[in-house]
Amino acid sequence: MRLTVEELSVHAGSTRLVGPISLAIEAGEPLTILGETGAGKSLLAQAIMGALPEGLTAQGAITLDGRRLDTLPPRQRRALWGHEIAMLPQEPWRALDALMRSGEQVAESHAIVAGEGWKTAEARAHDALSGLGLEERAMAAWPGALSGGMAQRVAFAAATAAGAGTLLADEPTKGLDEARRDDVTALLLRYVEDGHLLLTITHDVAVARALGGKVMVLKDGEAVEHGAAAEVLHAPKSAYGQALIAADPANWPHIIPQRGGEPVLVAEGLGIARGRRLLLDGVGLSLRAGQRIAVVGESGLGKSSLLDTLAGLIPAAGGAVRRLGRGAAPFAVQKLYQDPPAAFAPRVPLAESFRDLERRHRISRAEREMLLERLGLSPGLLARRPDAVSGGELQRLALVRVLLLQPAVILADEPTSRLDPVTQRQVMEVIGAIARQSNVGLVLVTHNRTMARRWADSTLDLSDYTPLRAAG
Amino acid sequence: MAISLGKLTLGRIVQAAIVALVVGVVGFAMMEALPGDAAYRIAAGRYGYDMVTGAAAEQVRSELGLDRPAAERLLTWVGQTFTFDLGQSAVTGERVGHAIDHQLGHTVELALVAVAVALLIAVPIGVLAGLRPGSLFDRISAALAIVVRAMPAFLIGIVLMLVLAVELGLVPAAGHGHGGNFVLPALTLGIVLASVLTRVVRNAVAATVASDAFQFALHKGLPMRAAFLRHGVRNAAVPVVAYLGVQMALLLEGVVVVESVFSWPGIGHALTHAIFERDVPMLQGTALTLGLMFVLLSFLADLACRALDPRLNT
Repeated sequence: MRLTVEELSVHAGSTRLVGPISLAIEAGEPLTILGETGAGKSLLAQAIMGALPEGLTAQGAITLDGRRLDTLPPRQRRALWGHEIAMLPQEPWRALDALMRSGEQVAESHAIVAGEGWKTAEARAHDALSGLGLEERAMAAWPGALSGGMAQRVAFAAATAAGAGTLLADEPTKGLDEARRDDVTALLLRYVEDGHLLLTITHDVAVARALGGKVMVLKDGEAVEHGAAAEVLHAPKSAYGQALIAADPANWPHIIPQRGGEPVLVAEGLGIARGRRLLLDGVGLSLRAGQRIAVVGESGLGKSSLLDTLAGLIPAAGGAVRRLGRGAAPFAVQKLYQDPPAAFAPRVPLAESFRDLERRHRISRAEREMLLERLGLSPGLLARRPDAVSGGELQRLALVRVLLLQPAVILADEPTSRLDPVTQRQVMEVIGAIARQSNVGLVLVTHNRTMARRWADSTLDLSDYTPLRAAG
Repeated sequence: MAISLGKLTLGRIVQAAIVALVVGVVGFAMMEALPGDAAYRIAAGRYGYDMVTGAAAEQVRSELGLDRPAAERLLTWVGQTFTFDLGQSAVTGERVGHAIDHQLGHTVELALVAVAVALLIAVPIGVLAGLRPGSLFDRISAALAIVVRAMPAFLIGIVLMLVLAVELGLVPAAGHGHGGNFVLPALTLGIVLASVLTRVVRNAVAATVASDAFQFALHKGLPMRAAFLRHGVRNAAVPVVAYLGVQMALLLEGVVVVESVFSWPGIGHALTHAIFERDVPMLQGTALTLGLMFVLLSFLADLACRALDPRLNT
């Protein structure tokens, strides 16, 4: 088996969004495309699949087992879906139908796509899912009740039920913690060992390392590096490749843990609930001035709810949060949000947002200018609106906004999860350095345990505090 | 966030009580605020305009106790209502509860047929438009929906009456009794409801088809038809049913107008007459019934949404 792509590019009207890219995938040798978030990697997979959104067009030759795909009429290309070529979705939770039980979503692939009878289909779906380590209970559950890892396994079984020999996996580990991420890469490796073709798109260097085979590095829609995984990942030649590898949390320098100053925020026996469901129980945490604590755990565990409870935004279901010393001042606890554009008023120039804040809290403009300089931001940026500033800059501006209030505690909710690896590293370094210099206690919520280990003085693992959730 | 069924039911019951009180009091206050002497209007309702004399008006006034202070009369009504007694019509003397019993049946009949008509128009058009957002069909149906929605219900009713009954003579213009009488009022009300409903169906279908879940259903190899039946219909139905619940207000408003235009002997018709004749007990009774119907229908819509979407039950 062999998939070749020659000079493939995707266009919106006359604008080229990605490409031209050439690649070849052989059975048993997966290809992983690494690159910035939002650099058109997903479009590449959709172009190969023949599933580009309306308004976008692809050029270039796509050949699967000697058969040209790009010249086929759309109807014939769709006929290949599920049978010969399958696509694993980015966010499995959203890709599964929330209103249909997970088992049935696999069974229908067997029944309708593979054309088995419903009885056989249900049995085959059951076998496939238990083969992937899913319990009966999970098969009967609605997708909303599944963990990210389980949902991805259901999506995998549903996508490949009709025996597709080529799989395009588009950021298949997005939002998963390391353990779940490794589950998914193991799943993909098994698929490769069965003699199938695999193309994975990711910004996680660890996924590329685990999958092996070949790696292609994409920047601004063009391939800057292409070769065996071992070579590219250990000795990248291009400047961007080097920056990308260096930005992998596993390659960050080790932190020298510090104890910090006096305690500013203490939580004891904290219970976190969403509605009537208790998510976490007995969480204890003591944050000192200048200290960095990372909170890790899988998506949906209650990490963000814990942060909101620490901030006093939602009441605790049990236990207490106490603010001590400098932490007891009115605006001493501040939050940094996951999605920087969502944290700023969208249609207002940034300068106006800052002016309002400074007027409200009687802060001098000089302070803002000093902070901008310290964080390496040009004051000219403030003339723009939030959507005209890059994600990394906007997150640093959010940090400036928080620091203006001279907080004792900053609660950061996955502040870099929407940023590409290189920017992620820059932003995390800035946040950490500022916290040390200004003697601010930091709580970082992340699903990336490696980053937590390299960046934080201590780590709190929330999976130790779940009262109900079964392992999966 | 999910609310338990018990809590939902309790909430709706409390809501019903509040609606009853507000509708009764506001209805009463508005009648009080009308200029002119109610006793004369009621007497006109009883004996005809030509027969009204000062003496007849005085007799009505003392019989109904219209000279009592307004607050006292209102409190009497509230007290009665709590014992499920809606009083007597000021004009005919018929028990209001009894009259509503008759009218409600006719109104529910008409409303059900109208909702069926609305769905028959809105679902096919909405689905076709939603599957191809931005197409010519989508844009024409949007324009039509806006034009129809901008027209008052009575105008649509009169236009239909002129065309179908007067010009073409296909159906009777007004009245009640045999099947043909249904056509005009049900069609009018159905068209009024369909205008916005079409757009809601269209938006729900367009959002569903564009969703990651629907795209994945296609990518795993389901043909369009199977994907739509298995992953489109139910998902799109949730917002449509929720909207239908809200739209009940429009339905009840339409009932009042359409029944009056086509002399349909339902609650809406009775309500308009009660206003003309200053028949306060009848007005309060009919308005109360319509208000409670709205609460009940919203509750049914909530239950239907729960049946469709398992996430609402957890």
